[in-house]
Amino acid sequence: MLDHILSILIFFPALAGVLGFVVHKDSMRAYGIAVSIIEFALSLWLWFAFDNGVSGMQFMEQLPLIPAFGVNYILGVDGISLFIIILAAFFTMIGIASLTDTKDVKNMIVTLLFLQMTMVGVFAALDAMVFYVFWELSLVPMLYIIGAWGGEKRIYASIKFFLYTFAGSLVMLVGVLFMAYFYYQATGQWSFAILDWYRLILPESFQLWLFAAFFLGFAIKVPMFPFHTWLPYAHGQAPTIGSVILAAILLKMGTYAFIRFSLPLFPDASTFFMIPIAVLAIIMIIYTAMVAYAQKDVKQVVAYSSISHMGVIILGTFALNVEGISGSVFLMIGHGVVAGALFLLVGVIYDRRHTKLMSEFGGLASVMPKYATIFGIMMMASVGLPLTINFVGEFLSLLGFYQQSHILTLLAGVAIIVGAIYMLTAYKKMFFGKVTKEENKHLPDVNKRELIALIPLVMITIWLGIYPKVLLGPISNSVESIVQLMHDKAVSHEAKIRIPNLSEGVEIITISQQGGH
Amino acid sequence: MEIGLNHYLVLSTILFSIGLVGVMRRKNLLMLFFATEILLNSVNIAFAAISHYYGDLTGQMFAFFVIAIAASEVAVGLGLLIVWHKRYNNIDLDYLNTMKG
Amino acid sequence: MELFLYTALFSPLVGSLFAALFSMSAKTKWAGIVPSILLGVSLTSSTILLFFVLGTNSTLHVEMMTWMETGGLYIPFGFVVDQVSVTMMMVVTLVSTVVHVYAIGYMDHDKGFNRFFAWLSAFVFSMMILVMSDNFAGLFIGWEGVGLCSWGLIGFWYQKESATWAANEAFIMNRIADLGMLIGIFLIYWNTGSLQYDIVFPAMATLDTTTLVWIGIFLFIGAMGKSAQFPLHTWLADAMEGPTPVSALIHAATMVTAGVYLVVRSNELYALIPNVGLFIASLGAFVAIFAATMALVNRDIKRVIAYSTLSQLGYMFAAAGLGAYWVALFHLMAHAFFKALLFLGAGNVMHAMDSELDPFKMGGLGKGMKWTMIMMTLASVALAGIFPLAGFFSKDLILEAAFVDHHLIIYGVLLLTAGLTAFYSFRIIALIFHGKDRHTALGFHPHEAYKFMLIAMSPLLLLAIISGFLFKGGFFEMVTTLLPATEYHIHDHLTYWIMTIGTQVFVIASIFYAYKKYMSPDIKVPDGTSAMEQSFKYKLLINQYYIPHFYAEYLVKPYRELSTIFWEKIDMKVVDATVDGIANAFYTTAEQTRGMQSGNLSTMLKWMVAGLIGLLSLAVVFGLAARHSDSIVIMLSGLGV
Repeated sequence: MLDHILSILIFFPALAGVLGFVVHKDSMRAYGIAVSIIEFALSLWLWFAFDNGVSGMQFMEQLPLIPAFGVNYILGVDGISLFIIILAAFFTMIGIASLTDTKDVKNMIVTLLFLQMTMVGVFAALDAMVFYVFWELSLVPMLYIIGAWGGEKRIYASIKFFLYTFAGSLVMLVGVLFMAYFYYQATGQWSFAILDWYRLILPESFQLWLFAAFFLGFAIKVPMFPFHTWLPYAHGQAPTIGSVILAAILLKMGTYAFIRFSLPLFPDASTFFMIPIAVLAIIMIIYTAMVAYAQKDVKQVVAYSSISHMGVIILGTFALNVEGISGSVFLMIGHGVVAGALFLLVGVIYDRRHTKLMSEFGGLASVMPKYATIFGIMMMASVGLPLTINFVGEFLSLLGFYQQSHILTLLAGVAIIVGAIYMLTAYKKMFFGKVTKEENKHLPDVNKRELIALIPLVMITIWLGIYPKVLLGPISNSVESIVQLMHDKAVSHEAKIRIPNLSEGVEIITISQQGGH
Repeated sequence: MEIGLNHYLVLSTILFSIGLVGVMRRKNLLMLFFATEILLNSVNIAFAAISHYYGDLTGQMFAFFVIAIAASEVAVGLGLLIVWHKRYNNIDLDYLNTMKG
Repeated sequence: MELFLYTALFSPLVGSLFAALFSMSAKTKWAGIVPSILLGVSLTSSTILLFFVLGTNSTLHVEMMTWMETGGLYIPFGFVVDQVSVTMMMVVTLVSTVVHVYAIGYMDHDKGFNRFFAWLSAFVFSMMILVMSDNFAGLFIGWEGVGLCSWGLIGFWYQKESATWAANEAFIMNRIADLGMLIGIFLIYWNTGSLQYDIVFPAMATLDTTTLVWIGIFLFIGAMGKSAQFPLHTWLADAMEGPTPVSALIHAATMVTAGVYLVVRSNELYALIPNVGLFIASLGAFVAIFAATMALVNRDIKRVIAYSTLSQLGYMFAAAGLGAYWVALFHLMAHAFFKALLFLGAGNVMHAMDSELDPFKMGGLGKGMKWTMIMMTLASVALAGIFPLAGFFSKDLILEAAFVDHHLIIYGVLLLTAGLTAFYSFRIIALIFHGKDRHTALGFHPHEAYKFMLIAMSPLLLLAIISGFLFKGGFFEMVTTLLPATEYHIHDHLTYWIMTIGTQVFVIASIFYAYKKYMSPDIKVPDGTSAMEQSFKYKLLINQYYIPHFYAEYLVKPYRELSTIFWEKIDMKVVDATVDGIANAFYTTAEQTRGMQSGNLSTMLKWMVAGLIGLLSLAVVFGLAARHSDSIVIMLSGLGV
């Protein structure tokens, strides 16, 4: 069973989703929870069976799909993708468990299970075509969630979400096809396997064009400034569960793809574009943080704060050294947990008051002390306080990038200031002061069902803040092999200097390549 | 003066132009069919002439195909035309606009 | 000994978690008593560690577990008890214990009693991490932790707009400085490959001066935020919105001195860059007098004491900057005792006066509150630096250090500040406790604080009196095993005596002047009409040199406006509009071209013909181009393309 655990992880939710159509409406929630718990348990088993000492791919599966064109169904995980898969399983579980009185709860759960399939698929796929298929498929359930359960402008938001990200992905598809063609020209064989592509050294001019093609697809997904405007609409209109999954997992697809594709395939182009991308990331960090400060709607504050944090992740990724990339992978997990929790928290108050405008609240700390406490912890995690999960990622990302550019890191570090400004202001508006509105005076505090979803998140936030080593070990192990690969592949002098050579990494590389065959 | 390939092709072109103008200008559906026939037959002339010029029978065969298809097309077309005329009592093209996008 | 180390470190955390358990239920005495007892345990353990360090003259270094490890980076949770950190531990646990016990009485009637102790003990825990950590990252944990607790405690009465505003201001301003600190940490890591003190500092000697200067500057920026040095000082006075025990513990005795601790800890770094040290000393001296002038006129007793804290922090930085690290640490310790005492005394006064803070509305309180009066007066004497109280020994040393090092400007400024300090301290003493009774007319009925609160304060009183002459020698012996042992002696005896006695006379004269001026029976509650209040000087000082105003007007407001512009104008009108514009271009093109699809067969046929002609002509053009491609290339090259 362990040999096919990845396939099981991908297709079990989908199968369960299909079966879900025949389950009775009243027992659907229990069914959904059961399925997602099994899925989560399987993902934990995957972690348990995962060998922390190996930096390459594990649990590889291979099945020919179109042999003539080298399209194969290849799966595998390493330290980078493992934890995002677990996070995806975890958030689907939390999300289904915390579903409140949604209409058509049956369809919602089926949609979520399909979404889970695509998410796990994206992170486990090691064939570019399979990756692309899951990548595009993930749009459909999300489109449906926003479009069917969203707010007033849900149609506009969902179409914008779909078309925008789809347009970017098409450019990426062109890049994928060209990459496969170059591989064909170089070796005489077609292959879409990422591990095969890793061994291909491209001239720098080719790299630049391919990098740009991939970049557009990934950047829209992340979303990077100036491609970010679909996100506030999607978050603003999506139901709570949609926002949670979107922020926690779907956005990570973009940053994950940067590490899986852009860096190891195009080391020279990554070095070449490092500074421009860092500048974009810094604009993203500061600009969206300021925009977040101006918001009136608390959900939009969290939405823009997501963009701001994604900027730090991008920065860490393009640090091109072990510290930075490990940090950015860790921050993906951290931001997933924290942003997911914040969206859940916003959902809590929205369920009670059916508004998200901060001016409608005030003084909630005395009415809902538990809610205020949990919100406070998550806010502080979002601000990046040490001993919370986000700090580790932010610290390492910035630390890593400091090696590349001092002044840009100083500017990016402004994140910790502007982050505090918008978050504390929002918190003050909502929780501090006197209770002025009559409707707020008797709001019930968080109930059991909400606590079931929130308490684990709080615990993870603090546990991984204090003891990040459990994740950081496997992550940096795999990152080291990628950095070494990049260094070995780099053609230009600049890239050779910028990407550090890890002397002990050579051996690891050979293992990872053996794993690919 | 011997009549050569060029003469046939010129005739074909002239007929084609006449047909084309007819297709564009005529408002009567019946007249449109006539114009289409002229178009097709101009092409047939060209086929036959070129076929003769190269000594290759494929072109003449193709002309027969065109004639056969044109006949069946006119049969179907006229049938539809008659139904239309029965229902609306005219065959003016300007009234045939149910395909408006 | 490790056991004692962990006990000292973690018992405040246990206390905090215990109180936090009750934070949402009704007030229970246990939520205050248990954390206080646990702090007592922590104090005892620290004392044992102190005697261990003193007795064996060795240090204790433990590594609990790994925190972060990736690439070349390795950060453990490591703790070190050496001469410097054990001093800080003693100060922190001692003042905390006193403040905890005191707060049981002070917060007696408050609804958030349980929550208060959760925050307060959490603060102590963070502070212990800060001082005990053996690396910069651990220091940063404590650094941010105390910031968080300070935020929670300043904004403790969260219904008050001013309190929450001050809390956010403090947090954000500290964050600005923390960025500097973070950059300093990055610089250290990339230059020395580690963050452990015992690796970093020896490695410093091999680095070039420019790097060292940058490290020194960035670390000091961090220190400036926590220790509220100019221009990041405004949060400290506003932080007085918090409950008074908080002001005593956090904003006088411990947290604000973290910056001084950082500079003292990094003494090996600053010793290599004397220019930065001189800058620190100059800034310290400037802040000393700058804050003292603001304290002269303020009409809020807590703010006056806060400015005096600021001023004393200036002294400490002046000493540290001049390389007199042990003197700075000594003043830090002595200051913690008498300043906490002063704040707690002010807390008694506030309690008696129903949270009224204007000393002009008090007067003659000494009759009903004898013990408070005695304590505050003695604390002020210590603060003013009169022999033989604590302040004399520590402050006099700073003056001597400045004098001996020939920094006469710094010396002069600090001397002048000493006079100002004495004046404003006794200005409020005189206004509160002496003179005519002005409060009865306003409807106040003051009463002395609970007995146990006074008893709780007494250790501080004792220390404020004796810590100077009792500890000076031993302290010097102890900390100079770690810090540079520079003794500041003026070799000329005559100069020494003239200086010491002169200073004393100057300070005592200031005190008498303050008493004379503010004990007079015709002191009234100022109503803004007197000539003094109209003067420019007064307005400048009471408005804190218009610096808060400047920040509000030229930093906060533009930031808010710029944010709104970014959102409404740029994000919505430019970035998003571009995206929608592209989408709309498709829509409009489609909308406009659908007219073609009129449904009229005749029109469609015309379009068909047009298309046919278009395609045919394209075919002709390409056919010709293909046939004549060679000559076209020649023609184009002739044109220079």
